[in-house]
Amino acid sequence: MIKKILVANRGEIAIRVMRSCREAGIKSVAVYSEADRDSMHVRYADEAYYIGPAPSNQSYLVIDNIIKAAKDSGADAIHPGYGFLSENAEFSDRCKKEGIIFIGPSSYAINTMGDKITARKTMQAANVPVVPGTTEPIQDIKEAVEIIKKIGLPVMIKASAGGGGKGMRLVREEKDIISSVSAAKSEAKAAFGDDAVYIEKFIESPHHIEFQILCDKHGNCVHLFERECSVQRRHQKVVEETPSPIMTQEVRDEMGKHAVAAAKAVNYEGAGTIEFIVDDNLNYYFLEMNTRLQVEHPITEAVTGVDLVVEQIRVANGEKLSFKQEDLSQKGHAIEVRVYAEDPENNFMPSPGQIKYLHEPLGPGIRHDGYIYPGYKIPMEYDPMISKMIVWANDREGAIKRMKRALEDYILTGVKTSIPFLKKVMDAPDFANGKYTTQFIEKNMDILMPDNEPDQEETDIAVITAFIDFLNKEENAKNEIRTAGSSKNYWKEFGRRKGVLRL
Amino acid sequence: MYEVNYKDNDYKVEILSRNGNKITISVDDRVYDIDVTEPESGIFSILYNNKSVQYSFFPEKDDRKKYKVYHGDKEWNLEIIDPQRRYRKSRKGDDGDDSNYISTPMPGKVVKILVKEGDKVPAGSTVIIISAMKMESEYKVTSDRVVKEVLVKEGDNIDGDQPLIIFE
Repeated sequence: MIKKILVANRGEIAIRVMRSCREAGIKSVAVYSEADRDSMHVRYADEAYYIGPAPSNQSYLVIDNIIKAAKDSGADAIHPGYGFLSENAEFSDRCKKEGIIFIGPSSYAINTMGDKITARKTMQAANVPVVPGTTEPIQDIKEAVEIIKKIGLPVMIKASAGGGGKGMRLVREEKDIISSVSAAKSEAKAAFGDDAVYIEKFIESPHHIEFQILCDKHGNCVHLFERECSVQRRHQKVVEETPSPIMTQEVRDEMGKHAVAAAKAVNYEGAGTIEFIVDDNLNYYFLEMNTRLQVEHPITEAVTGVDLVVEQIRVANGEKLSFKQEDLSQKGHAIEVRVYAEDPENNFMPSPGQIKYLHEPLGPGIRHDGYIYPGYKIPMEYDPMISKMIVWANDREGAIKRMKRALEDYILTGVKTSIPFLKKVMDAPDFANGKYTTQFIEKNMDILMPDNEPDQEETDIAVITAFIDFLNKEENAKNEIRTAGSSKNYWKEFGRRKGVLRL
Repeated sequence: MYEVNYKDNDYKVEILSRNGNKITISVDDRVYDIDVTEPESGIFSILYNNKSVQYSFFPEKDDRKKYKVYHGDKEWNLEIIDPQRRYRKSRKGDDGDDSNYISTPMPGKVVKILVKEGDKVPAGSTVIIISAMKMESEYKVTSDRVVKEVLVKEGDNIDGDQPLIIFE
């Protein structure tokens, strides 16, 4: 049985894992770089080991240093969190070799799912739908036309030697098929000296929906329903929710079965996520698998009541899953927002620096997974995410209202954050209606930009507050000089005089 | 007589009466009856017309007359102008252009410097690339400049608002 876990990570996820360790009576071991001596995960852990300089390739990514910390601390297992070494097959193998339990999948599962082409072939073999298209390069125009007709429009034609958009053609209408194929081929020939092309179905403004899965070492595998992750900026998720507002029970059941099949195809162990792209008609295609705990896992925990980290530890211990598929259900609605230290008004420029004041939202249905505290200096070496706020309510409308309230209660000064931007997302009609795709932010950019122009009264109050503080400080400074002077002279003098008089 | 500067405006402020934290104060010709306390360090609770709002600010290290005030998602950069500062401000005109150097708003690390001393740099060209939190940002000159001095080298850690490259 695992008694002590080293968490090979930092920030909010390290603390989140340690919280479950505490509840389970398991000791936690932190590792930290030079930049993280004062980080909360070091303060929260039972033990902490230094693993190197601030840049992550000299600390959090150095397998040897982490293994050494595990050995020195006597940890029997390592939890990798997300990012860093969490999807590193070599690390998984190394732990095994050193006799330390890696809380995650085998190197086989990581490798198979890590390589796009192998993953696609494995999924096809397991009858999991993938984006329709060709896997072998095509030379012949006639063959290409036939394939396109079979796949159905619109399609994307890509040069097989391609890259950088060269030799790419989007075909929407049947009359353009032949001209587009030959244009793509000649462009590919000119650019790469090879006119072979691939054809892939083009999914217009897709949704990004993923399924949480959990498998034990005894062949049991369940899914914990979907997460809608379509609110993205530059392929980075910003807001996630569950259930997905576009999902139907029928499609959910079917996708869940495919997610389980995908995991079983690589003998998956532990918690993982199957990502799908989904079109407006709920046609869905396997995109990739993340072989680790996801950033957005708490919304699944909120609606299912399952602690995914505890389950990961149980699986790592070799225990059987404590529930079956039919025991699981979704209750209510959960939304997560990711708060980044970045300036939405300044092209989302990162904003490291010192937290001066922090008021975290509290109250019904709110979970806040963060790691910062007043006075903490957010280091510039790592990811700018400072916290995740998760709300739960009985229904979607209630969850949105609660998230708005929570964002208003969240006061943080010292660094710029994405909080004002997130408030705007909650207010956007497309979000409120649940009708959004991965194009949401791009499409709504105009109304998502924070408008921070204060009115006259607000400015006056700011002016007054600052001015009164200035006057108070001036006054205090004067008084200090006065009292400092008097205590030095008058009392002593008085005492001396009295002493002299008594004589 | 005090003024508080915000953006292009100098607001005239005058305390008309004061009883502890209850203050009657005018800003230009607008009069406020206001109750200001500081229940937590740096956090100000303000009551006026029975409205309750919170403002916050923290002393700027280098200048006790400069304030960065926060309220909700809004912020103000304010400067208290007393007679002494007004005098200095009136003389400041001939100090020259303070945008004679490139700096960044946040701390980071110098990834690449694309110019050297003596270079003539046309408007719009990138002179330095800074990375912070896994993101690289390019800093460009807005007009034609000549590089006078490069104060940092590639790989250096830098503070926010630190001069990096000086122009003639």
